[in-house]
Amino acid sequence: MREDMSRLTVFFLVAMVLGAMVQSSGWSAAYCKADSRPVEKVSIRDLVENLDHYDRKEVEIEGEVVGDVMRRGGGAWITVNDDPYSQRSLPEGGQHAGVTNTGIGVWVLGHMVDVISYTGSYKSKGDRVRIRGTFHRVCPQHGGDTDLHAHSLELVERGRPIRQEVPAWKGPLAAALALLALLLWRKMYAKRRKRPGIA
Amino acid sequence: MILKPRLRDIQAMAWGVGRLILGVGLLMIVPLVVSLVCAEWNTALDFMVGFLCCFSTWLFTESLCPRPEDVTWFQGMVITSGGWLLATVLGAIPHWLSGHFHSFLDAIFDVMSGYTTTGLFLLQDLDHLSHGMNTWRHLLSYAGGQGIVVIALTFLFAGSAGALRIYVAEGKEEKLLPNVVNTAKAIWMISLTYMALGVTALFAILLREGMSPGRGFLHSMWLFMGAWSTGGFAPQSLNLLYYHSLPVEIATLLFFVLGSLNFALHYEVWKGRRMEILRNVETRSFSFTLLFTFLVMCVGLWGTGLYQDMGSLFRKGFYQLVSAHTTTGNCNIFSISFHKDFGFAAMMAVIAAMAVGASACSTGGGFKGIRMGILYRALRLEIRSILSPESAVVREKFHHLRDIWLEETMVRGVLFILACYGMTYFLGGLLGTLYGYPPHVALFDSVSAGSNTGLSAGLVGPSMPWALKVYYILAMWAGRLEFVSVFALLGMTAAFFKGKNSGEGKIKGKGRRK
Repeated sequence: MREDMSRLTVFFLVAMVLGAMVQSSGWSAAYCKADSRPVEKVSIRDLVENLDHYDRKEVEIEGEVVGDVMRRGGGAWITVNDDPYSQRSLPEGGQHAGVTNTGIGVWVLGHMVDVISYTGSYKSKGDRVRIRGTFHRVCPQHGGDTDLHAHSLELVERGRPIRQEVPAWKGPLAAALALLALLLWRKMYAKRRKRPGIA
Repeated sequence: MILKPRLRDIQAMAWGVGRLILGVGLLMIVPLVVSLVCAEWNTALDFMVGFLCCFSTWLFTESLCPRPEDVTWFQGMVITSGGWLLATVLGAIPHWLSGHFHSFLDAIFDVMSGYTTTGLFLLQDLDHLSHGMNTWRHLLSYAGGQGIVVIALTFLFAGSAGALRIYVAEGKEEKLLPNVVNTAKAIWMISLTYMALGVTALFAILLREGMSPGRGFLHSMWLFMGAWSTGGFAPQSLNLLYYHSLPVEIATLLFFVLGSLNFALHYEVWKGRRMEILRNVETRSFSFTLLFTFLVMCVGLWGTGLYQDMGSLFRKGFYQLVSAHTTTGNCNIFSISFHKDFGFAAMMAVIAAMAVGASACSTGGGFKGIRMGILYRALRLEIRSILSPESAVVREKFHHLRDIWLEETMVRGVLFILACYGMTYFLGGLLGTLYGYPPHVALFDSVSAGSNTGLSAGLVGPSMPWALKVYYILAMWAGRLEFVSVFALLGMTAAFFKGKNSGEGKIKGKGRRK
């Protein structure tokens, strides 16, 4: 009888500890369940400016994948931007929009990113994707990050390399400055030869 | 009586400024090489143009201005403050040519932010920026953290008189070694040693977190430069949130805390005097203010219910607070969260931490921990004097590398600097409020600029009013140089117009000199 009570006590204590760990790590069912309302198509700016309103809601975003696809532990992190530069970046010849980039980190399952070939950078336009997922204001699974957990990822438009256009005036400008520097160098050298004490 | 600067004064100052500009030009060779290696021809041309402008400026001053026999304190301050201004304008040339800035003023803002290790930026479309330009942004803050004067001293002022005065004018008073040129070299030795360790550690972490080797190496270099210099720049627009990585956050936190410590303290520890970490007034002051502001932040965040577990509180709350207190500005939350989610108390804790800032003679900004320590000692002295018999002699001392007795001139100097910082923060906040921004947001960003932190609650951006851009540029500059050099430059400008020629110093009407 006493042995049974001890085993029950140990079992109960272990269950409590495990439950606390599960709760604190955020793996509980209550956290995983997304809101069951219909999916709303939003801009990333809407999400960022209304973190509380969209917390744990299913949303749809569309934008350019930029930077890196960081694969880790069965999934991957990608960053998706939907600012004006995601349509046409500045290196591509886009216009100044008076804003910085607007993007969000998206956690996707490993196989979802296999469809991504290009990410946005100085030399390439990134793939344009449409993502449906659950938005987290403070993600317990990822240390409080504001992120989106993707349920689906669809390729909208394939990216491509960006051809660098060098303005015609830059070369002559550099040549003119080099000539100026050469003339000034000769003047300084001539002055030092006349007065060797000057360093 | 104010004397007008003479020709040889102007030549001495111009010579010194020319040497600083040469240092800036030589720095541009690094991003130029990166651009060539990465086949970024447009960017390579931008840096070629920038380098030639700096080189030509130096040649111009060298050809017109002889090396001075000595440099006075006043000239040293003008060389530093004026040199910083000209270095900012010329350093903005590659920025402007990159096409990522709406105006040259925006480019100047970013360069000043880099040099002063602030970290605020107006650059548009950062996520499509070339590797060469990203290298230049981060190198600006790495060089600025050491001090662009320190760079020039290391290589370009050897054997020159007045090097100490120019060094001190950059807001550094610590001499690690008897010779100031050797001090500058020692600062570089410390920084480069940490850079080797830091880049290696971050590279290994980023590889583990899924980055490719090429990008991982570049990011590790940039992140280290941004963290160690307490500049806070990052290569992507999401800053540290881009990586979603606790190891990256811990590594950057470690490096920006190290970067915020006094270089003299680093040198003492390197020489084996490890107890200095515990005895030093700056580390004690930093620990106390960090603990106090963290408690206030916890109370504030508890009220909002934002972070429900210790992990999130550490990664988001504590990280932001340490980033603010070291005046780094690396951030792993969206800027808007500071005023929409943090709540008033937590936001004020971050503002207070930024305002106090890091250690003197470090890469950090703000009011400085040593001054907080001196103020505390001064307060204790006053209280002890009141409580002691009238005939008693009451003194206070503090420990900073050695025991130092508190003196009235020291306290007066501290109060003067405190008033300057306070006024800078207040005026910036007032200006932002007049433009219609919420007062707490205006104050947050003003303190961030004046203390060279770089966190933003959402005010700073390419579309902010031009008057605020100009004010923030001046606030970052003045805060980094701790005001005195800036006043010297203003004084010289006034003297140029209103000063008397030295030959007019004789008494008029009496026919003889006193």
